[in-house]
Amino acid sequence: MSETTRAGAAAPSPVRNPVVEALKEALMAGLLAATLASFILGVKTVDAPGGLQLEYRWHWVLIAFGVVAVGRFLLRLLWWRRDAALPGAAAAIGRSAGQLAQPLGKFAGPALLAAAFLLPFMPFIGRYEMDIAILVLTYVLLGWGLNVVVGYAGLLDLGYVAFYAVGAYAYALLATHFGLGFWTVLPLAGILAAIWGMILGFPVLRLRGDYLAIVTLAFGEIIRVVLLNWQEVTGGPDGISGIPRPTFFGLEFKRFGENTFHQFFGIEFSPMHRLYFLYFIILVLALITYMVTNRLRRLPVGRAWEAMREDEIACRSLGINPTNTKLTAFAIGAFFGGLGGSFFATRQGFISPESFTFIESAIILAIVVLGGLGSQIGVAIAAIVMIGGFEVFRGLEEYRMLLFGLLMVVIMVWRPRGLVSHRMPTIFLGKERKAVSAEMVGEGSG
Amino acid sequence: MSTPVLTVEHMTMRFGGLVAVDDLSFTAGRRQITSIIGPNGAGKTTVFNCITGFYKPTTGRLTLTHENGDAFLLERLDDFRINHLAKVARTFQNIRLFGGMTVLENLMVAQHNPLMLASGYSLAAVLWPASYRRKEKEAVELARYWLEKTGLIHRADEAAGSLPYGEQRRLEIARAMCTRPVLLCLDEPAAGLNPKESEELNELLVSIRDDEGISILLIEHDMGVVMKISDHIVVLDYGRKIAEGTPEEVRNDPAVIAAYLGVSDEDEVQEVIHEQH
Amino acid sequence: MEYFLQQLINGLTLGSIYGLIAIGYTMVYGIIGMINFAHGDIFMIGAFVSLIVFLIVIGLGVTWIPLVLLIVLLVAMLVTSAYGWTVERLAYRPLRGSFRLAPLITAIGMSIFLQNYVQIAQGARVKSLPPVITGGYTLMEVDGFTVQISNIQIIIMIVTVVLMAIFAYIIARTPLGRAQRATEQDAVMASLLGINVDRTISLTFVIGAALASVAGLMFVLYYGVIDFYIGFIAGIKAFTAAVLGGIGSLPGAMLGGLIIGLIETFWSAYFSIEYKDVAAFSILAIVLIFLPSGLLGKPSVEKV
Repeated sequence: MSETTRAGAAAPSPVRNPVVEALKEALMAGLLAATLASFILGVKTVDAPGGLQLEYRWHWVLIAFGVVAVGRFLLRLLWWRRDAALPGAAAAIGRSAGQLAQPLGKFAGPALLAAAFLLPFMPFIGRYEMDIAILVLTYVLLGWGLNVVVGYAGLLDLGYVAFYAVGAYAYALLATHFGLGFWTVLPLAGILAAIWGMILGFPVLRLRGDYLAIVTLAFGEIIRVVLLNWQEVTGGPDGISGIPRPTFFGLEFKRFGENTFHQFFGIEFSPMHRLYFLYFIILVLALITYMVTNRLRRLPVGRAWEAMREDEIACRSLGINPTNTKLTAFAIGAFFGGLGGSFFATRQGFISPESFTFIESAIILAIVVLGGLGSQIGVAIAAIVMIGGFEVFRGLEEYRMLLFGLLMVVIMVWRPRGLVSHRMPTIFLGKERKAVSAEMVGEGSG
Repeated sequence: MSTPVLTVEHMTMRFGGLVAVDDLSFTAGRRQITSIIGPNGAGKTTVFNCITGFYKPTTGRLTLTHENGDAFLLERLDDFRINHLAKVARTFQNIRLFGGMTVLENLMVAQHNPLMLASGYSLAAVLWPASYRRKEKEAVELARYWLEKTGLIHRADEAAGSLPYGEQRRLEIARAMCTRPVLLCLDEPAAGLNPKESEELNELLVSIRDDEGISILLIEHDMGVVMKISDHIVVLDYGRKIAEGTPEEVRNDPAVIAAYLGVSDEDEVQEVIHEQH
Repeated sequence: MEYFLQQLINGLTLGSIYGLIAIGYTMVYGIIGMINFAHGDIFMIGAFVSLIVFLIVIGLGVTWIPLVLLIVLLVAMLVTSAYGWTVERLAYRPLRGSFRLAPLITAIGMSIFLQNYVQIAQGARVKSLPPVITGGYTLMEVDGFTVQISNIQIIIMIVTVVLMAIFAYIIARTPLGRAQRATEQDAVMASLLGINVDRTISLTFVIGAALASVAGLMFVLYYGVIDFYIGFIAGIKAFTAAVLGGIGSLPGAMLGGLIIGLIETFWSAYFSIEYKDVAAFSILAIVLIFLPSGLLGKPSVEKV
């Protein structure tokens, strides 16, 4: 309906009563809301013995009309004034927040790191909080891994969950069938995932832009379907259970049995020990991911990734092999996805294809994009906000995912470039370390 | 005279029914500036794209010879191998910098292949060994050398995309030079430059030829640049070579004047010729 | 042979539905170059609205099925278009001309939102509708095996062909189509020439949503079972179809839809039903590797 008002605004109208204008708009918005609500909110299908029955709830249509109309009216009258559109205002807020974020970024990293190490020793941390913290760190790791592919190399990967699944099943299968321990399998799982990344990458990396996106998405689905149907190996929809937990130099975290952690150290058994242990495993894994990806960014291959994102043709004119460069990005990203998967398997003790749906890929991608492509600190913050927030709203039950989806839209409209959008150069000639502003940075076409 | 750095023999490039380059043959001399000129749409950039591997010519042979006698058939190499192996570097008509990376980073990317080797394909260097740090320092020194030469040293840590136009043009040349080429192909480097910048460009190109000993292949519309610094000029029209020779010869060639400057506008021809003296 | 023919008919029916959804993807991609991830869920909304309106109309005592279907079709198109319009207005337009990945994320967010919205409003259980249009024709009968085409299959194919013709006409001949193609080529230039780019894009979403709602209605009638999740997998298939046919090309979307439908049906019939999705996606990957711009897409020449 802003169509109609904009058209109206363009026409010369000497007398324009803002209240009448706002009322008109409110009416239109309300009518639209009522149309949207009409047959989805207004009528509910209920299972009944004779087939589907309908339950009319027309009051919901009225509510939708009322809320939207009043909301629009007030917004228009009080906040938007005349022609200042919402996106403009949002962008302005976004910009000021961005300026704020830059000096903040210097301290955010060390502060987050310190918080991460101290977290388990805080008095208010219980079992539940530890679980969430472990989950958040898993997503931080996955975010940093995917950041290599999407953020640095500018390749849109919608099937990242496939590598996560490869890592998880690699550990689950090797551990349950061959009795291999977590620490042995961890690098293997990563390498296996990286190999999968290359196998997939080799044919598809020649594709440009969104074609790559759809093929990676398809690949993610293929892996899931195979896991679901290859019963003999993967256990199909039942998944694999009884996956061994990681050990502390051979010491197990069990109440009874030989070689247990609490007996060795002569302390009382507590189920929290294992959680602490898992927490520090994932913290260390995440930090390794951080350090490796961060270092790679300063190495020739990392610069080539970013250059590839900025301009592939120029890269080729400088003798950079585009296929190899993209493949390494894909393989490195997949490697960390595999690590994350292995950790997931050992933490859960049980995996099934249900944990590796497209929505996982979407969440990880959302973390990377919301955090700010290429910004590791942004990715960490986004993971905390998204996953932490998601857990905080657990009480909302079914409304949780609804809010989650809405939040993705709102944050993105608010800050399209993500929370931390500037780019830190990888090398300096002078003393001063200046960031590159977001407007300069390319977004890749792959 | 030593062997030419580039020999183009009977090169034809067709796009569907369109013949962009028609049976073109010429040579570019070592340590010389060879210019390709011609009206818009004459196929100059297509020639460049064939030489640098972005297009594969329909027919023809393109031989690049190094001073030690190594020869490369460019039509058989992928674009990135042409830079890597045959040592041909280029710039683009519509500048292609890595805009979000700093000036220095642009020059580091240009040294990708030697640095890759030095870093053990980047994987070995994750631990940041001293041997790699040394190599990186050398790379920075090369970058610094070219930044000074192109007058961009004060811009080193700024985003390439934020530079003014003339500096972006120079940066692209510096970046190409950081790949240590044997042949440098410049696609309209003077386009959009003011007279002063154009003059500086002349000096830079002459220095690259005389001081660095690099051969240059140049596409240029700015006759002030072409006539002053070229050793040899090839004139294209509708994809065919209509003349070649020294600036003096080309300038007085009636076919060139007719095709390139247009027969109808006698005054402009006189004006252009006059400008050169 | 008879079995093959029967599967051919089934495959073409399924392919028609995919094709109708795929058009929405291909038009949106053509005009603003984004994957409208929420389009599959728009289709799902179309299916739900169709089902509910159908029950209401029947409940009101209208029994002449053609009239019922006409009413359902019109209402579903209207309501679903409103969803298409709103999604574009809220989640995509504010990001126009911004970072390329931003609208992709909002689209995924919208998709999650719509799925959960319908789940909350309508419940998570599968909704089923007894067959409305029954009967059909036996095309041939050999050795006790019959090849049949049901009335609903005939309707689906006819509706698809008619809609295709109408929209091909709109794109090729009407001012809207011209505005659309101009915006596709160069949005800035189009707006300088007086084309209301925002409105053109909105209309594209509305048309796409309307076609998706038709697909939704067909889906309800054909399968008789829907839930809030059908949009995701149908959406992926349809997008696959659009890419396969050459994204941006309307006939391509239809062709891609038919091919995906056929692959799925034949794979299920002759090999294994579990791996039908794998087959469809693998074909997509193979086609893209050899024909990077799809079957009917314009090959893109790399500009140096």
